[in-house]
Amino acid sequence: MRGVLLASLALGLSWAASSPAAAPTLVGKEAPDFVLKSLDGANLRLSEFRGQVVLVNFWARWAGDTRQEMPALNRIHTTYERAGLVVLGVSIDEDLERAREFAVSMKVSYPLMFDSGSDIGRDYLLQKMPMTILVDRSGVVRYSHVGYKRGDDRLFLDQIRELLRE
Amino acid sequence: MNFKSRVVSIMLAGTLCAWSAAVLAQAPAAGAGPNGATPPAAGAPATAAAPAAAPDAPAAAPTAETPPADFKTLDQEVQGMKKDVIDLNKDLFVLEEELLFPANTQVAVYVSMDVGAFFALDSVTVKIDNKQVKNYLYTAREADALLKGGVQQIYLGNLKVGKHELVAFFTGKGPVERDYRRGATVTFDKGVGAKYLELKITDKVAKHQPEFTIKDWE
Repeated sequence: MRGVLLASLALGLSWAASSPAAAPTLVGKEAPDFVLKSLDGANLRLSEFRGQVVLVNFWARWAGDTRQEMPALNRIHTTYERAGLVVLGVSIDEDLERAREFAVSMKVSYPLMFDSGSDIGRDYLLQKMPMTILVDRSGVVRYSHVGYKRGDDRLFLDQIRELLRE
Repeated sequence: MNFKSRVVSIMLAGTLCAWSAAVLAQAPAAGAGPNGATPPAAGAPATAAAPAAAPDAPAAAPTAETPPADFKTLDQEVQGMKKDVIDLNKDLFVLEEELLFPANTQVAVYVSMDVGAFFALDSVTVKIDNKQVKNYLYTAREADALLKGGVQQIYLGNLKVGKHELVAFFTGKGPVERDYRRGATVTFDKGVGAKYLELKITDKVAKHQPEFTIKDWE
């Protein structure tokens, strides 16, 4: 009897531990539209890339993983740009000047944009930085990745290839 | 979206569901004959006449022609329903605008651009009674659309009857690629009818400068 109780407790705890992981995501929903100014001064609107696969990477200079992730995303961008992939980097840093300096220092070829106090963070349910979402050709969020660790770019590649084939 | 807007949206969604249900219920009835039978379509009389003309003909012959007629009828019904849904959607859109922005309080602000040789539009900020109601960033495509004669509704809102002040700030690149920021102000009387204001960007050729004006459409 005691064993059964312990097993039930363990099951309950494991369920409770797994529940918070199911944080709300936008997967399956239409990606909220936004328009932001990029590093080169052009204004870019997400919905204008409808028909292409879009990888949106939310980054912040204070998030350590950003330094690792950006070069990996740059490689993906240069390889798959001609296949119809668009990579957009969105900074949610409040200090615009320092975010710009950081962006310039990273020397990436995809557009880096700056969100200065709009509702994008709330619209995209940002929990932890960096965060990457993949939007399919019809504008629906298909994959969402919170944080970044070495090797995640291979997972991104698999998912990008899948979306590009559709 | 504020609470009032949400309530109205929920009411509209409910109405749409009810209407859609009514359309779906009516569609077969509209197509049905007085006895509720499927109406004879273009090919149906021929099917009915066929056995009379050739009573000894195999039964398979008429049945082979019947399904296309049924499919055609069904397709027509589906197309009719699609059209009804589109019409309903349009009506709902108009109804929503009328409910959320009734004519007696409605104020709409539009942006238009003529020529644009001296100004490349980047953003427009609209303030009404010293409160920012809109800040819009233009992409290259949107600016092109305005240059080709497009008119954009940048703001739609409600205002009380009386005097109001609208200030619009335009930013972009001016002559010789210089950063340019200009403002335009208008004081207008909001009457009982809807109010339409147009933010116009034109070229002043004599001065080689852009000109920003606000037109009050009576």
